[in-house]
Amino acid sequence: MKRMKKVKIDHNYEFELDLAPLLAVMVKLVPVLLVSSAFVQLMTIETQLPQVVQQAIEKNEKDLKATHITLEVKEKDGVKIVVNKDGKDSVEMVPKKADGTYDFARLQERLRDVKMHNPEVFKIDLSPDAGVSYNDIVHVMDEARRSRDSNVKFPVFDKATNQETKTDYMFPEVTFANTMEG
Amino acid sequence: MRRRYELPKQKSTFGLNITSMTDMFTILLVFLLQTYSTSDVEIIPEKDMRLPASSSSTNPVESIKLVVSKELVKIDKTKIAEMKNSDFEAKDIDPNDTNFILPLFNELDKIAKDEKLKDNPAVKEGRILLQADSALPYSVLRKVMYTASMAGFPQLKLVTLVGE
Repeated sequence: MKRMKKVKIDHNYEFELDLAPLLAVMVKLVPVLLVSSAFVQLMTIETQLPQVVQQAIEKNEKDLKATHITLEVKEKDGVKIVVNKDGKDSVEMVPKKADGTYDFARLQERLRDVKMHNPEVFKIDLSPDAGVSYNDIVHVMDEARRSRDSNVKFPVFDKATNQETKTDYMFPEVTFANTMEG
Repeated sequence: MRRRYELPKQKSTFGLNITSMTDMFTILLVFLLQTYSTSDVEIIPEKDMRLPASSSSTNPVESIKLVVSKELVKIDKTKIAEMKNSDFEAKDIDPNDTNFILPLFNELDKIAKDEKLKDNPAVKEGRILLQADSALPYSVLRKVMYTASMAGFPQLKLVTLVGE
């Protein structure tokens, strides 16, 4: 009977992985990605402009009882929140801080409160003064869009499921109300 | 005379250690894949223009690209008007309507009536992608919005940088 040959296993055997093909792929891939990469990420904020005055009037006539929220961004004083509910106006002012900048934290707080009392409203009208900077307008829109406090959510009725869900969105629809003014 | 010693000629090879280079490329690849743009729309920010930062997460859609910087107004790559002290020059404003920018209206009107662009959804739905300098006052933007709206472009999308 032939004796089986004993296989000797060397547990300390080392080998070198050939990385050259992998490197070749990477060298080709990196320039492609470098060219097509966006190092500055840009997003958009959607707004509607009042195109035809007649359409706006018709819409207003249909929604006579709807709550209307307007943010008047004043150049000197701050942000004025005007809530028109059942034909009655309630006005609240969020004054500027001592350093002359807008108090966005306080504005967010007040808008959360307005949203709590009017969960069915998702649209606001924005009326900035002529001298207000674009940066401040975008900041005000940001504060109005969604709640920064993750614990604060607002109820929304989902017609598809017939159930109430929660959302952190407050007023995502923004319309520049004074575009057509002279 | 001392004889010069010569090394025997022999073929020599050496293995280049590329492990560290592969490491570096792997890190670079992951970073580039993260920053890879998946948006269909290519927006090239104007030189010396600061866009406002926003927490908005809506990706840009194909629209007419309008740029309003401190120096000029552009549609795509076409210069429409020049700005002076962050405002429009008097010659570009309609004397009967101070919010109406004549060259901007003419250009947008031309796009709206262009037979080649009549099936373009951006033109059909009147969409504008507005890149404006964050330092510009609202009075300038209002004029642009008013004119765009008059030319049949009521859907305005404000381009912002990602951030707070």
